[in-house]
Amino acid sequence: MRKILAGIETEYGLLVEGYGADSQIDHSMALVRGYPGECHFGWDYQYESPRADLRGFRLERLAFDPVDAQFDAGRTYGEAHEIRSDRVLPNGARFYNDHGHPEYATPECLSIFELAKHDCAGQIVVMRAAKAFEKELGVPVHIYKNNTDYHGASYGTHEGYLVPRSVGFERLFKGLLPMMVTRQVLVGAGCVGDGSSKQPSYQLSQRADYLVEPANAETLYRRPIFNTRDEAHSEPKDWMRLHVICGDANMISSATARKVGLMKLAIALTEAEFAPIWEFKDPVRAFQAISHDLSFDFKVELKGRSWTNAYEILESYFAAAERLLDLDDEMKWVIDSSRQLLQDLRTNFSQFKREVDWAAKYAMYTDYIASESTDWRDPQLRAFDLEYHNADPEEGLHAALEQMGEVSPNPVQSDLLAALEGVEEPTRAYARGLAVSRFNDRLKGVCWRTLTFDIGGKPVEVDLMPNFEYPPQLAEAEDVETFISMLRGIQ
Amino acid sequence: MTDGDRLTRPLTKEPGTKQGDDSGPSTPTIRKPEGGNELLRRMKKVDPDQAKKYRQRSGQ
Repeated sequence: MRKILAGIETEYGLLVEGYGADSQIDHSMALVRGYPGECHFGWDYQYESPRADLRGFRLERLAFDPVDAQFDAGRTYGEAHEIRSDRVLPNGARFYNDHGHPEYATPECLSIFELAKHDCAGQIVVMRAAKAFEKELGVPVHIYKNNTDYHGASYGTHEGYLVPRSVGFERLFKGLLPMMVTRQVLVGAGCVGDGSSKQPSYQLSQRADYLVEPANAETLYRRPIFNTRDEAHSEPKDWMRLHVICGDANMISSATARKVGLMKLAIALTEAEFAPIWEFKDPVRAFQAISHDLSFDFKVELKGRSWTNAYEILESYFAAAERLLDLDDEMKWVIDSSRQLLQDLRTNFSQFKREVDWAAKYAMYTDYIASESTDWRDPQLRAFDLEYHNADPEEGLHAALEQMGEVSPNPVQSDLLAALEGVEEPTRAYARGLAVSRFNDRLKGVCWRTLTFDIGGKPVEVDLMPNFEYPPQLAEAEDVETFISMLRGIQ
Repeated sequence: MTDGDRLTRPLTKEPGTKQGDDSGPSTPTIRKPEGGNELLRRMKKVDPDQAKKYRQRSGQ
């Protein structure tokens, strides 16, 4: 099975005590700009194309949340690059302000466990910036790694996967949609109520209630299950970047690894034209039905008046992958651990909740409901739900559960700190990180796809091919000219 | 929360449990968090209005 390059970008929730959402962009900009660690300032936007659609057309404009428009009435924020306030870190990650949310985009990784580690390390970056901002502002600043504000606003945790262009939209959509709809059973982050705060209940996914269409290119409003934004972040003739926006932010790192691993399984099966075929009568309704099904039957209606459930759909991917793909140890872990969890969900919930965020929270809340003789309408539950995702390890409820050994442990602090200094895999993120740590004074432009250096007063752009292996000798380059020459010699 | 011991008290019911045959997935038995009281300590500190005052802009 092909090693699939992947990354995760998480928009964090930001609450500055005494201020509202109308100040959020200013605060997020200031927070990012105050990041106290080593970094490169700026980002090269020349290859970005958020309105391009995988289906071969280009949107005139992207939809915008009308509530946000009210926050911006009479305000100006400056040029786009000033608003985003990009920072590029020595591990090749990008840290910036995205629509008022501090966003950490991990370095690209091949291993799902490396990626989960970098996703976790991102919390340290955001918290460092938040603490510096808190000190500057003089009021408490809270950071949440979640995807809803319980008042109708959602913000994303997106996954990006490098996929050959030749696979095409139609095949990807058919092959991946059933996985996108059902994997929440294993990797949903859980949510008290629905997105609008009207319904007192609990559900598996933080994003389900914000999805309105099976596929489109939108991300801020009218969000789809399958996002068709076509930004390749590499040579578009050869590659596409699959942009998955329907997943949740996981606090349990093993869930992050499983979330990515499940999608990689589905991508590999789709590439090989072995993906199981499931046609939902209504994909959005199926996604939401699973999310809200606290009987845990997870039944979904298919075209042709037939029914199945999430267990059967997930197992169909596992069986096909075992039968038809050459699986490495990580993918075997994804299948074996997922199967075990699906069994545990029905027979051993105490074990299941150790690995799955929605279940860890559900157990905590049902216990509270029983002990306090209350119900899902209790506002305290929604407050707990928010605080589970508090990124401060001294305050968060997930961090408390981890400390108590109630959920599977995240990577240790020393590994997370090391992950901020560089990457262990020979991906293009390694080269990007080296450029920041070694040649920042000559670095004039950075993006996922290229590096641009100032050589004799002229810009020199170097492509970072996504499928190349970047050797450790790059770290020994004595000067930027040698570094560029070595990058161009990689094949 | 008013009593630090309440979260470790035996449950009188298991929310979500339903009756049914053995042919399909069944609702699991849910056990409470065990171990130290760090979770309880933090839960007690949570402002009940924290989510109410938490308003965000839409992101992507």
